[in-house]
Amino acid sequence: MNSALEKQLNLLDYALASLWRRRLKNSSVLVVFTAVIFLVASFHLVTTALTETAGAVLRQTPEIVIQKMSAGRQEAIPVAYGEQLSRLFGIKKIVPRVWGYYFDEPFQANYTVLGVDPAAMPMGEHLVQTLLAGAWPGSAANQAVVGGAIRELLALSVAPPTVEDDFPDHSLFALHRPDRSLKLLSTVGVFRDETALLTADLIAMSLADARDLFQIPADLATDLCVYVHNPAEITNLARKIAAILPDTRVLTRPQIEQTYRVVFGWRSGFAAVCLLAALAAFVILAWDKASGLSPEERREIAILKILGWETADLLLVRCWEALIVALLAFVAGCTLAWLHVVFFEAALFRPVLVGWSVIHPPFALTPRIEVKDLLLLFVLTVLPYLAATVIPTWRGAVVPAEDALNG
Amino acid sequence: MSMNAQLVIEGVGKVYRVDEQTLAAVREVSLTVKRGEMVAVIGHSGSGKTTLLSMIGGIARPDSGRVLFNGRDIHTMNSDQLADYRCDKVGFMFQFASLLPMLTARENLLLPAAFGRSRGKPDGRAEQKAAELLALVGLGDRLAAYPAQLSGGQQRRVAIARAFMNDPELILADEPTGDLDEETEQDILRIFREYNRQGTTFVVVTHNRQLAASQDNPRVVRMKQGLLQEEIGPA
Ligand SMILES: Nc1ncnc2c1ncn2[C@@H]1O[C@H](COP(=O)(O)OP(=O)(O)OP(=O)(O)O)[C@@H](O)[C@H]1O
Ligand SMILES: [Mg+2]
Repeated sequence: MNSALEKQLNLLDYALASLWRRRLKNSSVLVVFTAVIFLVASFHLVTTALTETAGAVLRQTPEIVIQKMSAGRQEAIPVAYGEQLSRLFGIKKIVPRVWGYYFDEPFQANYTVLGVDPAAMPMGEHLVQTLLAGAWPGSAANQAVVGGAIRELLALSVAPPTVEDDFPDHSLFALHRPDRSLKLLSTVGVFRDETALLTADLIAMSLADARDLFQIPADLATDLCVYVHNPAEITNLARKIAAILPDTRVLTRPQIEQTYRVVFGWRSGFAAVCLLAALAAFVILAWDKASGLSPEERREIAILKILGWETADLLLVRCWEALIVALLAFVAGCTLAWLHVVFFEAALFRPVLVGWSVIHPPFALTPRIEVKDLLLLFVLTVLPYLAATVIPTWRGAVVPAEDALNG
Repeated sequence: MSMNAQLVIEGVGKVYRVDEQTLAAVREVSLTVKRGEMVAVIGHSGSGKTTLLSMIGGIARPDSGRVLFNGRDIHTMNSDQLADYRCDKVGFMFQFASLLPMLTARENLLLPAAFGRSRGKPDGRAEQKAAELLALVGLGDRLAAYPAQLSGGQQRRVAIARAFMNDPELILADEPTGDLDEETEQDILRIFREYNRQGTTFVVVTHNRQLAASQDNPRVVRMKQGLLQEEIGPA
């Protein structure tokens, strides 16, 4: 075998023996190091996954939403308002939407009910991509698509939308109209877990069914969605709409995204600061631990020097030691983070990042691991540790070896 | 300088500074050692014996004077060359315990062999050599023992064996038999004499007059308050 390689193997061997000898100290460093990497990696995975999920969902939302305001509160908007905008250039389509909140007494749960007419939406055929199973409600009445959390809560199964029999099965559930009468709905689809951030508690149905459930007259809707030809014109169009319909509030998608980002960004920023503090504490700890070479370590360095070891060899051993600890911690920390995010739904971070009240039901995160993220994490964690352990040895290795001679 | 002067020490001095005080541990010492010679260094405690040895071994740097090994001033070498000198040319026996506690006796012996730049080793040769040397000092059955599992004298013998690992031209031994019983001491001295007969040069610090006196070619030098004086060998 090549002698340079042979030498590295010997040094590695020595490093392992040395690690084992100080296993108590090293395993405590390993545990702390792993925990820090675990936290940082989990946090990173969660924020990227959330940002992506949110972005994907928001892309489906209409460019402009018009809500009727009365005395500073939102109220139902006449569908006819849309006709007043027909002379505006650049509008692709105006689609009425009915939505509201429904409190399910027996389960003490809040649902969001959304009534839309996919056929009327410009990208309507794409909506089926948000479904895990089943189909979007067709023209038939009393069909619904539910979010994963509701499906679980009500133990619903998905009925094939084509089969139309009145035989009650597990796809059926009932909601109360305001007059306490029951409205029976058949589950024809379930939303994908990836969209759970917005759909977990959602029940989507046709516009007519939603009006029926909330008992809203056919000429009214909750709001009007405006789809435009040119996204660059959104703000401009919104201003014109507001001028034509003075009693409305006009929301644009950039505004909605902005609001969302501000809230989310603040939360993640706060968490990031906490994590950076933890990271800094670790670096200081590692530095402190490593820079004070113990007398025993100084002696070891001195003896090895007298036996003819070069300073470079001493540094290499230290490098190997630090690298082994750091890589172990890195791999363990990243693996734990992945498990934490994917299988435990980021249990540690959910309260901080999304807030209990915003999203109560479980939602699945599908983080993507990117090489550049791993590299960044590596640079942020492993390199400081390497520096913190190797530099003191280097300083120790340049001091004379006589110390070992006098006992 | 004669052809067979292996080690030439010229006016070497070493001053230690502790706080404001200075202490001349070695003063203007000159000594020439021929290849294959055995020199015993005696002297009171604190007279500068260890300090002198460390300057010969390239461990401590002298404040004045030169140390020539085979005609080359070792203290003008760069640190890598010096490391090679310590590794290849010199076998150093410490006055005090010098085994690494996390390694077995066998691994402690492999330390000088395993990591030198020029060595391409642990083929079986170094392993075998380590086993032979440990057997030579009577520890053939304690290869896998850790220093903590060995007696003080046994640890001392491991350290003695280690100094021979790289077949050094020069052995620097600092009271090598200090804590050995008389019988073991005789064994060790026999080993020294055997190596010496084959050409290895020895500079041995000892309080034991007998070591110096019992040599075939006794040469004894005495350190006294940092100064060195040649003793006339007792016949
Ligand atoms: N690293 C050091 N720093 C300061 N003073 C030192 C150092 N090493 C040795 N000395 C001093 O130098 C003098 C010579 O020390 P040295 O160790 O060479 O003596 P020695 O002859 O080996 O003694 P012993 O027989 O007790 O081992 C002593 O007075 C000692 O206190
Ligand atoms: Mg001494």
